[in-house]
Amino acid sequence: MAAPSAPPVPTVRGRRSGRRDDTRLALLFILPASIGLLVFYFWPLVRGIWLSFTSWDLLSPAEFVGLDNYREMVADPVFWNAVRVTLLYVVINIGLQTVVALVIAVLMQRLSRSTLLRSLVLAPYLVSNVVAALVFLWILDFQLGIGNQLLEWVGLERIGFFTSETWAIPTIAVVNVWRHMGYTALLIFAGLQAIPPTTYEAARVDGASEVRTFFGITLPLLRPILGLVLIISVIGSFQVFDTVAVTTNGGPVDASRVLQLYIYDKAFGQFDFGYASALSVAMLLILVVVTFFQYRMTRAGQTDLN
Amino acid sequence: MTETTTAPAAPTTVPAPETGTTAPPRRRRRRVTPGRVLAWAVMIIVLLVTLFPFYWMLRTALSSNGALYANSTSLLPVDFSWGGFERVFGLQSTEEAIAQGGSGASIDFWLYLRNSVVVATVVTACQVFFSAMAAYAFSRLRWRWRNAVFAVFLLSLMVPVIFTLLPNFVLVRELGLIDTLLGIMLPGLFMTPFAIFFLRQFFMNVSTEVEEAALIDGASKVRVFFSIIIPMSVGPIATIAILTYIGSWNDYFWPLMVSYTDDSRVLTVALGNFNAQTPQTGPDWAGLMAATLVAALPMILLFVVFARRIVNSIGFSGIK
Amino acid sequence: MHHARRTTATLAAAVAAGTLALAGCAGPGTAAADDSVVLDYWLWDANQLPAYQRCADEFQRQNPDLQVRISQYGWNDYWRKLTAGFVAGAGPDVFTDHLTQYPGFAQRGLLLDLNDLEATADVDYGGFQEGLADLWVGQDGAQYGMPKDFDTVALFYDENVIAEAGMTPEDLEGLDWNPDDGGSFEKVLAHLTVDENGVRGDEEGFDPENVAVYGLASNGSGGTSGQTTWSWLAGATGWTFTDKDVWGTEYHFDDPRVQASLDWLFGLVEKGYMAPYEEVGTEPNPQQALGSGRAAISANGSWMLGTYANLQGVDLGIASLPSGPVGHPVSMYNGLADSISAQSPDPEEAARWVEFLGSDDCQRIVGEAGVVFPARPAGTEAAIDAFGERGLDVSVFTDLVEKKQTLFFPVTEEFGAIDSVMMPIMDEIYIGDRDVATLTEVNDRINGLLK
Repeated sequence: MAAPSAPPVPTVRGRRSGRRDDTRLALLFILPASIGLLVFYFWPLVRGIWLSFTSWDLLSPAEFVGLDNYREMVADPVFWNAVRVTLLYVVINIGLQTVVALVIAVLMQRLSRSTLLRSLVLAPYLVSNVVAALVFLWILDFQLGIGNQLLEWVGLERIGFFTSETWAIPTIAVVNVWRHMGYTALLIFAGLQAIPPTTYEAARVDGASEVRTFFGITLPLLRPILGLVLIISVIGSFQVFDTVAVTTNGGPVDASRVLQLYIYDKAFGQFDFGYASALSVAMLLILVVVTFFQYRMTRAGQTDLN
Repeated sequence: MTETTTAPAAPTTVPAPETGTTAPPRRRRRRVTPGRVLAWAVMIIVLLVTLFPFYWMLRTALSSNGALYANSTSLLPVDFSWGGFERVFGLQSTEEAIAQGGSGASIDFWLYLRNSVVVATVVTACQVFFSAMAAYAFSRLRWRWRNAVFAVFLLSLMVPVIFTLLPNFVLVRELGLIDTLLGIMLPGLFMTPFAIFFLRQFFMNVSTEVEEAALIDGASKVRVFFSIIIPMSVGPIATIAILTYIGSWNDYFWPLMVSYTDDSRVLTVALGNFNAQTPQTGPDWAGLMAATLVAALPMILLFVVFARRIVNSIGFSGIK
Repeated sequence: MHHARRTTATLAAAVAAGTLALAGCAGPGTAAADDSVVLDYWLWDANQLPAYQRCADEFQRQNPDLQVRISQYGWNDYWRKLTAGFVAGAGPDVFTDHLTQYPGFAQRGLLLDLNDLEATADVDYGGFQEGLADLWVGQDGAQYGMPKDFDTVALFYDENVIAEAGMTPEDLEGLDWNPDDGGSFEKVLAHLTVDENGVRGDEEGFDPENVAVYGLASNGSGGTSGQTTWSWLAGATGWTFTDKDVWGTEYHFDDPRVQASLDWLFGLVEKGYMAPYEEVGTEPNPQQALGSGRAAISANGSWMLGTYANLQGVDLGIASLPSGPVGHPVSMYNGLADSISAQSPDPEEAARWVEFLGSDDCQRIVGEAGVVFPARPAGTEAAIDAFGERGLDVSVFTDLVEKKQTLFFPVTEEFGAIDSVMMPIMDEIYIGDRDVATLTEVNDRINGLLK
């Protein structure tokens, strides 16, 4: 690595002590971002939490009702169903997506550096959620879709991908995997690129196999990025809305009535914004807990490289 | 991306091609192993799955709406017609459009394209820059409340969309920015928690030796930021820039809320015309698919251009 | 280190360029160029946009001090943008309103009473098709909407498919129906259903599990109103949704007549005459079914005329709904209207535009576009002629209104909450997982929401 130069000389700036304290500089550097944070995230968050303790129909002044919304929520079977359905969706979606994205990223790095390949892989992300859902609605249509035609051709029974209670959530999960796998793969790919090739060289010199290299070196060094990817993906996945609204709208019956769908219905469909806020706070709390554990488990706050 | 010359004295039996050579005259010799065949097979399957829906979109875009239902499983365009694309570029008269199953609204395509480009470019430039600054503060600067403040930023990642929508809209209105491009850009202009988080993870990984060396040489931390961290992170910065651009380009609901006239209409909102306009009628399929393809094209081009840049910029690890 | 300088320079340039571009782009707001009052009018149906633009042009000619700016947003976005507009005070002056939404707006004081405004105070609401204006009178007696158009339901079919079955369009006229044995209507459906072996529904050896062509296209489960799915069946038994024409306080889903009608309709699935839920899902596409030859007859509303007429390969025929136990067909009668927002800074001017929208002049212009049936008889006539020019005889739709064989769309409070209860339950009944008789207890539940 760097040839050791002269032994460290005392810093020219005599006033500062050996341990640098960058507080003032740091505050300057986070200033623009903090403005954005306070105005566009923090204030709405605080306001939203406040609203969850009120009854508000968007158009008349809000009325304080204390914990009523939360009491109602705990007793609301639709809410609990929504949590269950959303959790199921997140597990299927993230599980599948992370594995597929990891495979794609590794393939992209090993097989070919072609930028064409990378742009093709990213292409699904360029399509809006709504359009992707519509296209798959057609492709997987029970009667007229190519998907079911293929199934029949192979000798299997047709499947109501969006109309069957067992298949609705997995199908929606797969549609979103299709859309996001390239994007996630790109993130992981960026992480792979950041691993110095010298580490691979060292492993090669030691005679390690590809698989061993992957699990012993690549994965651990990817941890910060993988941690980020998982956290981001889970947070996004929990808030799934467009795809469900377009394809099943919560059906059949309640099999795909995810939390965000319920929230939107309450807020804009029934003008019950106080309750919708309480539901959102519940979702927020779930996300905070999940993220906290993810962060710890993947130790995304640390890096093995420095 | 980070390409180095291979150490010539590394005789290995396992062909590990991840460290490619940069010397042009030397041909890469790769042995065809079962592993590679399998890898390519998987890649091809991935590509097929990724691209088939796009083929479907193209085929539908080149069909006529009325005939679509009669031959819905045909792999070729049904009743070939350029109508979908014509409607996207605003080249059809209202009567023609309605007759072919499209909407009667007029589309000033190039205006909307320009608006989208302005919005996406400015948002990306500002957002990435400010986020990089903050990411630097959270990864390479030492200060007392670093972790706590970062946790707050991380928290904002989870703020439900429904909380931010109306307050932001009310704010934009009070600032008098309704129906302006600035109004559309405002919430995204300063940062997103994702960008900060992402860049921080990468800045953390930048080796400290170079930084130490520069600091010893008397550089300020600000200088380090601009002259060392950023150049060494061109890859991640480019990645987040592209992703931000795409995100901003594809944003639909917020621009829909803020824009009232053509002054501030962006492409996605304008192309929302191809969605179902009335309850129970389907969308203008041909137009919608054509619109999606046309809207995706600038970004694919952008990506190809910039990705090439990343590959070509010899990313040095800086330590030799 | 020229990398860094280059990067910084590029970034700075981008920001500068962007700001310059912005300076040119930021619009001045909603002020009109020449100090005339600008009225914002919103609607969702893009097919009607050209006609309304012509109305606006004519209005502006007659009223040079006013300008009308029409904005069109698709159905899904329309209500959300409208709500956000109300919240932020950035909504339209006038907008197309819907019966399911206006009670909520009226309740929250967002709509103006047309009787209070000069231009609309003297309008003779009897001059519209009968009953339409009453749908828009609030519980406080205020007139919240100026009737715009109306729609009814009829049977669409493909004449080629009928001919293949050895039938003629006359065979589809004057059918009768009852919830017990389906009457001649069910016989027709049976005959038109063909299984994959070519056996018809009324022949020996018909296989209800493998059907190639369904007699009746599925419209889903219908939710609370069942406008095109079952309202014409239940209504034909003499059943009504609530205890009053408008602003009822209790629903009648506990009535055995509606339960029997639903039972019959969803029972068609087992008989093989209609597609199961599995095939069509929550939001079925009956024009797709008709266009692809998957179904022979589709019951749908008059607003779908254009869409069905555009189906290639289909010779569109229109038949009237079957007569029910009451002796004649009954169709749901729905009407849109234009409302004025209470937040409008120019209510009197807005009223002038609304008055024009409800006048013979404008409604004739809209009728000539041949998309919907305007609420004024003059407009309706123009529409009938316009459709006639395309070869469509739409008298079936308008006769229902003339003969008063209609059933009002249910206008009550809390429609949003009620619908979100009813939709999944109706889906469940369609799927077959729930018995129709349970609607009695559901009825109590939704009546509870009305209190």
